[in-house]
Amino acid sequence: MEQETGWLGCHLIQLDVTFRQNSQIKAVNQAFHLAFPVVLVGTLADMIRQTWLASTGYYFQTLHVGDWLMQRAILKHYLSLLSAGTLGLVAMVMAFAVSYYLVAPVAKRTTDRLMVGVVAVTGLKFFNVDRLTLLNGQSVQWLSNNLGISGILVGILIGLVVGDGYRWGIQHWLLAEERLGQTMTITSIWLLVLAAGGLAWTLTQKGSLNATFLSLARWPFPLPHHLPGLLGFSLLTGLCQWLGILGPVASVGGQSVEAMQNLTSVLTHAGWQVPHPITIHTVVDVYTNFGGPGMVLGLLLAIYLGHSNGAQRRVGAACLLPTLGNFNAPLMIGLPVVLSPILGIPFLVTPVVCSLLSWTCLQLHWVPAVAYPIANGTPGILQGFLGTGGNLAALALAGIELLISVLIYYPFVKWARLAGEVAHHAEKTSH
Amino acid sequence: MLKKRVISFLVLVTAILLLSVPGFLWRPQQVTSVRATYRSAMAPVFLVPGSSATQNRFNELVTELNHETTTKHSLLRVEVMTNGQIQYTGSITRKDTQPIIVVGFQNHHDGYETIKKQAVWFNLAFRQLQKTYHFNHFSAMGHSNGGLVLTLFLEHSLPKETYAERLMTIGTPFNLEESNPDVDTPLFKELSADRKRLPRSLTVYSIAGSEGYAGDGIVPFDSVNRGKLIFQGNVRHFTQMTITGANANHADLPENQQIVALIRSDLLT
Repeated sequence: MEQETGWLGCHLIQLDVTFRQNSQIKAVNQAFHLAFPVVLVGTLADMIRQTWLASTGYYFQTLHVGDWLMQRAILKHYLSLLSAGTLGLVAMVMAFAVSYYLVAPVAKRTTDRLMVGVVAVTGLKFFNVDRLTLLNGQSVQWLSNNLGISGILVGILIGLVVGDGYRWGIQHWLLAEERLGQTMTITSIWLLVLAAGGLAWTLTQKGSLNATFLSLARWPFPLPHHLPGLLGFSLLTGLCQWLGILGPVASVGGQSVEAMQNLTSVLTHAGWQVPHPITIHTVVDVYTNFGGPGMVLGLLLAIYLGHSNGAQRRVGAACLLPTLGNFNAPLMIGLPVVLSPILGIPFLVTPVVCSLLSWTCLQLHWVPAVAYPIANGTPGILQGFLGTGGNLAALALAGIELLISVLIYYPFVKWARLAGEVAHHAEKTSH
Repeated sequence: MLKKRVISFLVLVTAILLLSVPGFLWRPQQVTSVRATYRSAMAPVFLVPGSSATQNRFNELVTELNHETTTKHSLLRVEVMTNGQIQYTGSITRKDTQPIIVVGFQNHHDGYETIKKQAVWFNLAFRQLQKTYHFNHFSAMGHSNGGLVLTLFLEHSLPKETYAERLMTIGTPFNLEESNPDVDTPLFKELSADRKRLPRSLTVYSIAGSEGYAGDGIVPFDSVNRGKLIFQGNVRHFTQMTITGANANHADLPENQQIVALIRSDLLT
């Protein structure tokens, strides 16, 4: 294999196979498989709502959807409901599925498997309580935003903790024939422990567990406008996404004060004078989010261009529409990229390389900085072009960035396929 | 196999190019579209006093508005002289996106002709301020005849690509001091004739003070009520309110606690 893949590829494949064979990771990957259709449907609904039906959407603006589409408001409500009911509950699905699959090999009874899932979902809610409603003695409400795709990491962690604990309990306690009493005991203990943990968190911390992860990731780089800060921000955003925090981490760039001042300057002065040419928005958002964070449009192209397998292609085909609209969640969950050692490397490296290139081009004044607002769902390759009012150098830069991303992803797609095949073969032989 | 891969890849590239076509076709209209939806970070609130009052008329009100709030609004006072010169006192702090700008006039006498001149002077000040601070949307409050000055400005002089969001008139006599409902003053006729030129997206609050059952001591109810004949159906929302109790007479209205609360909730948020 080393001849076919090279030293690096060989070692990465070995690492990936070892990683996949770990029971915890296996349970997480099975959970991703289960959650994928839910994420795909929710993302498609969200994408259509944001890009076709909202006034800030690319298709809404360019195809003048508001002028010809009937019943737009009802359609918007319908899609909002659909995406909230699917994407909005993905963290709960993950917590349930991870704990379920973790316990499944040792629990013979379906009741035990389902019970652990229910405990994990309940535990996730205990850690996402609206602290003000709890502390003020009001009717308790939940932080529903944290139960969606941005809460996948927390969902996985709760699922793992509950699943492992339950598994340990089953292996050590549930040996007798009569199991109802024991199931009730172990479930009750877990619920009491998780509720106590949730309360302790709520009493001592002002933000949710999810918000804490996000703030930790952003803490070292508050609004960076220098190169190390921009690259660090790009890397940390990628790391968050790779860990399963799929919410909008970097998308505040377009609404920042600097972006507003850039737009004001362009609209009120002759020529293209931009007071803040180097910002997260002008360097990172515009040139490293083709297909969504991580330049996953490059990954999709590499899947079709390279030696990918049938499964990768099927996932790629299913994720085609959302990825073209810069919604990367289905591809992240479907392949998966999240927590994948092999695909994680290009996922982190590509935005950094692209940021470096766009920063260089902006510094050398080869391309002007983006100032016009960019509509949701604008094809990645067009973002620089439309954001600069039709500058062809920005279009060329976007083309080069896309090409670079395909080249970076290309070998990793092949290695991911080989790792999948080796892991599958090893699993078959072990049975 | 290779052929299949190349075809799949080309299909994907074609899809990217096809989705880019609407963007290329829309590009020539982009500037118009951006300008139409662009809102500056700054959206000042203009306060215009009534006749006999100067640009210092609202000092107490602004202090009250800034009291017990985390968002402090800076205060710029502008006086437009009869020769068109503009004098400034106070300042707008750098990060204040909603400063309060009081526009007073050297000639602040009562009367139809003076009100029309004040509307022209207000326009001069507005354009000068817009040139300096680059705002393209704003809200406004006018006390008494100040509401007439603002209404005339909105009907006749609102610059292109400038968006009036909210207007609050307090004790504004749209039919001057005329209490006979059968008589239309020339000012009302003018405002009514041009009511279709009001910005459609405007939200208007008209507040009447009450001292007795006929008016606020100076302005008759019927004159304030004429506002609905001007605004209703021509702006997005029109709300009329009557304030009673302490400080509900014409001169005290800007310091009335209920009105201060209304300014805070409906004009400054």
